[in-house]
Amino acid sequence: MSEKSAKKSTELSNKQRMALSFQEMSLLPPEERVKNFEEVPIGYSLEEAIAEAQRCIQCKKPDCVDGCPVGIDIPAFIKLIENGNMADAAKKIREKNFLPAACGRVCPQDKQCQAVCVVGKKKEPVDIGSLERYAADYERQHGTLELPEIPPATGKRIAIVGAGPAGLTCAYELRIRGHEVVVFEAFHRAGGVLVYGIPRFRLPMDIIDEDIKFLEKIGVKFVYNMIIGKILSLDDLLEQEGFDAVFVASGAGLPKMLDIPGVNANGVYSANEYLTRIYLMQADKFPKYSTPLYQGKKVAVIGAGNTAMDVLRTAKRLGADTTCYYRRSRGEAPARTEELKHAEQEFLNWRWLANPVEFIVDEDNFVKQIKCEKMELSDPDTSGRRKPLPTGEFFTEDADTVVLSLGCDVNPMIPATDKGIKTNKWGIIIVDEESCQTTKRGVFAGGDAITGGATVILAMGQAKTAAKAIDRYVRG
Amino acid sequence: MKKAIENIINGLKSEDEVSVSVALDEIEQLSGLTDDDKIALASALALLFYRDHVGMSEMISLANRAEKQITRFGSVVIPFLIDELVSADAESCAHLGRAIAVNGANAIAPLLDVWNRKRTDQYALINLTQALAYFRIPEVLQALPEILVAAESDNYQLSSNAINAMGKLVVRIDPNLFDEALRQQMFDISFARLSDSRSLVRMQAARTLGKLMEKGLLTNTQKERLQTAYCAITGKDGSNDWDDAYIVRHEAKCYLPLLKTTPTSVTHYQQSFKILSKRELCPNTFHYVIEAPLIARKLQAGQFIIIRPHELSERIPLSICGWDREEGHIEVVIMSVGKTTLQMNEMGVGDCFKDIVGPLGERSHVRHYRGTCVVIGGGFGTGAIIPTARDLKALGSRVIGVIGARSKELLIMVDELKAACDEVILTTNDGSAGIQGFVTNALEQIIKEEKRVSHVLAIGPVPMMQAVCELTRPIGIETMVSLNALMVDGTGMCGACRISIDGKTKFACFHGPDFDGHKVDFDQLTKRQKMFVAEEKQALETL
Repeated sequence: MSEKSAKKSTELSNKQRMALSFQEMSLLPPEERVKNFEEVPIGYSLEEAIAEAQRCIQCKKPDCVDGCPVGIDIPAFIKLIENGNMADAAKKIREKNFLPAACGRVCPQDKQCQAVCVVGKKKEPVDIGSLERYAADYERQHGTLELPEIPPATGKRIAIVGAGPAGLTCAYELRIRGHEVVVFEAFHRAGGVLVYGIPRFRLPMDIIDEDIKFLEKIGVKFVYNMIIGKILSLDDLLEQEGFDAVFVASGAGLPKMLDIPGVNANGVYSANEYLTRIYLMQADKFPKYSTPLYQGKKVAVIGAGNTAMDVLRTAKRLGADTTCYYRRSRGEAPARTEELKHAEQEFLNWRWLANPVEFIVDEDNFVKQIKCEKMELSDPDTSGRRKPLPTGEFFTEDADTVVLSLGCDVNPMIPATDKGIKTNKWGIIIVDEESCQTTKRGVFAGGDAITGGATVILAMGQAKTAAKAIDRYVRG
Repeated sequence: MKKAIENIINGLKSEDEVSVSVALDEIEQLSGLTDDDKIALASALALLFYRDHVGMSEMISLANRAEKQITRFGSVVIPFLIDELVSADAESCAHLGRAIAVNGANAIAPLLDVWNRKRTDQYALINLTQALAYFRIPEVLQALPEILVAAESDNYQLSSNAINAMGKLVVRIDPNLFDEALRQQMFDISFARLSDSRSLVRMQAARTLGKLMEKGLLTNTQKERLQTAYCAITGKDGSNDWDDAYIVRHEAKCYLPLLKTTPTSVTHYQQSFKILSKRELCPNTFHYVIEAPLIARKLQAGQFIIIRPHELSERIPLSICGWDREEGHIEVVIMSVGKTTLQMNEMGVGDCFKDIVGPLGERSHVRHYRGTCVVIGGGFGTGAIIPTARDLKALGSRVIGVIGARSKELLIMVDELKAACDEVILTTNDGSAGIQGFVTNALEQIIKEEKRVSHVLAIGPVPMMQAVCELTRPIGIETMVSLNALMVDGTGMCGACRISIDGKTKFACFHGPDFDGHKVDFDQLTKRQKMFVAEEKQALETL
């Protein structure tokens, strides 16, 4: 591809670009995909990718870059795709984001870069996420990824707690600055939520494995089965183990449960438990893999966030008649637009404005039915939010499995085992916003541990901030 | 017999080394000694400690052999030895101290008794503190308050002996048994002595502080203060005002590098999880010793681990029944109940578990109780009560262990529990050993016979724990149970182990595993444990 087409595309005027049609990524047909765990979006072809890239008008002051938590130079990488220079496009993204294949798939672009895209003011915004994914997949499939040059060792050692998106990003950023980095992971494999929480049909497992291998190649060391706070304390790391700084990225591990009758019934799971059993422990391949999962014929999922969509679609793929219960209406569903859209194509049932008040159990404590109160939305209050209000009307439906997807509180392990780490009243670790430094000297934190449950990319952004501050700190 | 003993005693008193040696040999041959014989022999043996060995090189080894013989007489000679100790010279004090300490817990009470009587006799206290330094059992902690007072004495010999004894205890006893207040006190007292006018006291203080640091008993601030102090002693602070005594500088110099961080490679964190030994306790139930040095270093009574034996398996939470921090071993009892535990019990010595995570959960509720503590184990829980029993006893409580099983062959870990308790009562349903009936029958009996029962811990099958709680509830005895709930991650992330405690949902992995048994919703627990019964059956069929 060539110079010729590259030249041709530069000749396009903004007006011509605006006239080009949006390249919608094709998906596996719903009837087919609900029977397996294949990735749902098929990905752009070369032609589609270039055609979509041509829609970018290369703003002089691009809002999309400000809309990206890690500040990827979006117009630049899109230009490289337009010119057919895929390897360089991937390289460009990697300057700011070393998990492009994952982020292209799981970032809420509709609330970030694509939300502020100038093209989007008149038409569909440029599909930045799909283009990012395209470049990253190209790089992986064609093996064009080059290992970054690691500067001479600084002699400084940094411990990372948790191998999720924040931990991995911080590890990368510190390693390329020449520090020795050891990642401590509690589970037996790295990836954090990317492994235990995000379904394979959204993010295939081999992508994460590649990213971990990449980190290992550049010299990041991983240790598994290590629960920091228990097997080694933060003090142990800083004193006895000789680390100069610690980055805590232990995530939002503590699932929120409802306080209603039947919440401890058999067959009621947290989304964390449900997804972990299936994706980390591979209970879908039971009994070859020994971790069991009891799932009945009718699955009720409570909540309408991204995780709820993941659970709904997973339960469907495991053959259940699946229903979503949410106490507000569709308009307030916190899931990203694309997730909601994809879920809605997959033959699920929706009960908007339905607030569960009881899980009805049989004599063996197995859940059999779900009882909900019908809700209605209030008029917008001063903050513009419409609150769900009880109507006093109830309905009951069959459900022999319930999954609560109501978000998480921060995993309390680290604050509970180190008095130097202060938290706010929600258990979120308090950090200085500029540096991500905690109340304990030499300890920094990022990701869900300091936000209480946000997105992969936000965690990565914080990890980059923290990495810069840690670099400054260890160099004195 | 009388004659033979007299001959030996005469031999021991002889000035001739050979005669003494022959007499020592002959003691070994003696049997059927009365208590009086033992005391008579012990006093003759003890005289050897006082012999001047200058110019009699054999004397040192003869004294050592005499010390060994005395230890064979057991606890009956303890009062005699302590009497000797209080007025002994330095050389004999060491021999007597060691001979007393060999008796372990039995010797603590008489020692403290003499301490009370001799409170004003500083010479006696100097020797008593030295003897305390030789103990290796946690019960010696009962003497720690006295040692701490002695460490602040104006008598420099008493003070240095006491600080030395403190350092020895820190090295020989599980660091977890020193609570925060005690740690602070030990640090403060020793630290103050770094500026004592006598170099011997400063040296002992520098050494004991180093040991406190080495065993991880110091906070960061304390370590910083210690580092500054060591730097000043060795002159590293640049003030040109170092300690003029070499012995003090030498100690500080030895420990100073340990305060600085030393880089370690990642291999240091790799644990093999190799099975070092395996023994069958009863059919389908095995005791394992597993290599896991990092976990062993941190385990506390009541905590648990999660094992994933191989790549395809689930994560199985298991109670711990013991550990060896120095050797880096942990001990578990695995009972075959499902597919994964069956697979685990097919593994043998030399095999490695794929993953082990731990220590998990909170430490058991342990403190000193005035009344009796009863620890009750059934099935897999029999091993799990041992570490807690040991801690309770070490803190000075009277501990009675109870083990229940269907019949005699199924009673497991009896000897191990006996070693950790003051008394052990067995119960079997069929009466083939101990009391016929259930652990609750034994508990009823204990409650009737003991002056007061303050604390009960029960670990085992849910019906057993429930029955124990129902028994203690009406009479208001504090009762803890350890919940073996279903788990996935064990860190609070999934909530599979949640259970109603006093109407509130708690996570057994994170808030437990020990809970107030009177608040546990046992009915819910029983039913939740049956969540995967069908799947477990299906899994077993694939074997």
